[in-house]
Amino acid sequence: MTGQTGKIKVWDLPTRIFHWSLVALVILGLVTGFISPEWWMGVHVWAGYGTVLLVVFRLVWGIFGSEFSRIETFAFTPSEVLAHLRELIFLRPLHFIGHNPAGAMMIFALIFFLSGITISGLLVLGGEENQGPLAGAANYQVGDMAGTIHSALVFILMGLIVLHVIGVILEIRLTGENLVKSMIDGHKILPAGQKAPETRPSRPLAASAFLLAFAILAGSVLWAFSTMPPSGIREMTANEDFNTECGDCHEVYHPSLLPKASWTKLMAGLEDHFGEDASLDQETAINITAHLITYAAEAWDTEASNRFSIVSQAAPYQISATPYWVRKHDEVGEDVFKRKGIGNKSRCAACHRDADSGHFDDQMIKIPEN
Amino acid sequence: MIYPKTKLLMASIVTLGFIIVGTAMANPARDAVIKEFSAGAAQPLSAERGKELFLSSPATGKAETPSCTSCHGATPFTTGQTRAGKPIAPLAVSKTPDRYTDPKKVAKWFRRNCKSVLGRECTPQEKGDFLTYMSSQ
Repeated sequence: MTGQTGKIKVWDLPTRIFHWSLVALVILGLVTGFISPEWWMGVHVWAGYGTVLLVVFRLVWGIFGSEFSRIETFAFTPSEVLAHLRELIFLRPLHFIGHNPAGAMMIFALIFFLSGITISGLLVLGGEENQGPLAGAANYQVGDMAGTIHSALVFILMGLIVLHVIGVILEIRLTGENLVKSMIDGHKILPAGQKAPETRPSRPLAASAFLLAFAILAGSVLWAFSTMPPSGIREMTANEDFNTECGDCHEVYHPSLLPKASWTKLMAGLEDHFGEDASLDQETAINITAHLITYAAEAWDTEASNRFSIVSQAAPYQISATPYWVRKHDEVGEDVFKRKGIGNKSRCAACHRDADSGHFDDQMIKIPEN
Repeated sequence: MIYPKTKLLMASIVTLGFIIVGTAMANPARDAVIKEFSAGAAQPLSAERGKELFLSSPATGKAETPSCTSCHGATPFTTGQTRAGKPIAPLAVSKTPDRYTDPKKVAKWFRRNCKSVLGRECTPQEKGDFLTYMSSQ
């Protein structure tokens, strides 16, 4: 054996599939989160669920996988990690057959942040969007806070990914071992003179049983949560006057889209309603005002009711003048609003197919082609 | 060769058609609405003056609505569109038979639209002329 280098199988197939699936899902999550239009949110959510499955699988495989997949084989002590980092600074790292201490730290960090990202993502989905298993459990405020955390963790994750790639490149340069190829074919170099270590095989049956138990447990918990009715959404009794009087001229806007004060002002100024006289007889006006005030934004806890509660000072009852509306439609060109299928900015339902419910789900957006 | 029975059937259909169209044109509820305006008008109602009013562009009301046709379309037979994009059924009674039969609706829309287009309420004379014209179309 002396003077010759051998090869040793290090990464078993499930670990390799895990690694590259995670790469794909994280890229999908980042693209659908940062670049894709809003209506790709469904895909983003599925990327998240997929990531949860992969992370859980990896933890279970960290117990029942083959030798170098087991967490115990790369759970280094702090002094070992420090020693390795010192070697790295002097660009003379020792060779490790499995994960080296820096790589191990990266794995733990990635798993930690990916868990945080998926949990906070589920809270945003339930709290802000009123969707998913936590729609009933998480209110808007929780979802909003989770959104901030979600973004922060994603930025940290991106930093970690950069570090991870730099680390791999550095390791390839310093040791001459192609780690990317190793993660594809599963083999690493066994340095000359080093004896192949004893390796324990994986225990797929035990891992499957564990995963199944987890799936049943987690599934039941989420299912139990999902039976709770979505928080902040209420039943609304239809008002005939509201539907016909307002609906004669324009889309019937959901009362949750403006706060009480805005509706009151609007109803008091119908003689000059967006440049037209829309006055009503007193009885009808009182009836419609009562309906609007009963179901105004204050009565709901949806993303729309919360966001549109901050109105424009100059136009307190123009939904399309609210800061949130302006920001969200920033990238929609003026020519898009002029398309035949839209007409102008007053026509929410032209693109938001669930506008009449007040939900405004991201997945329900469809911009007419012309 | 047309059989007598078929002839009778065709005659009945044609007659029935006339009755239906006739009722649509002359609706007692609408007649009452027009009569009310007529009572307040100085001159006999005129479809010709109604047409002039419909086609005029006074631009004395709100800037967004210079004339009736800005929203209702160029003729009484066209389907109009509100500024917010909702369709407006044609004004001509032949196209929209149930028009001008509800006095509350008639009062509401004249009040609003005259103010929007003319900047003032319309006189009974103007309203009567307008409805006389639209009923004849």
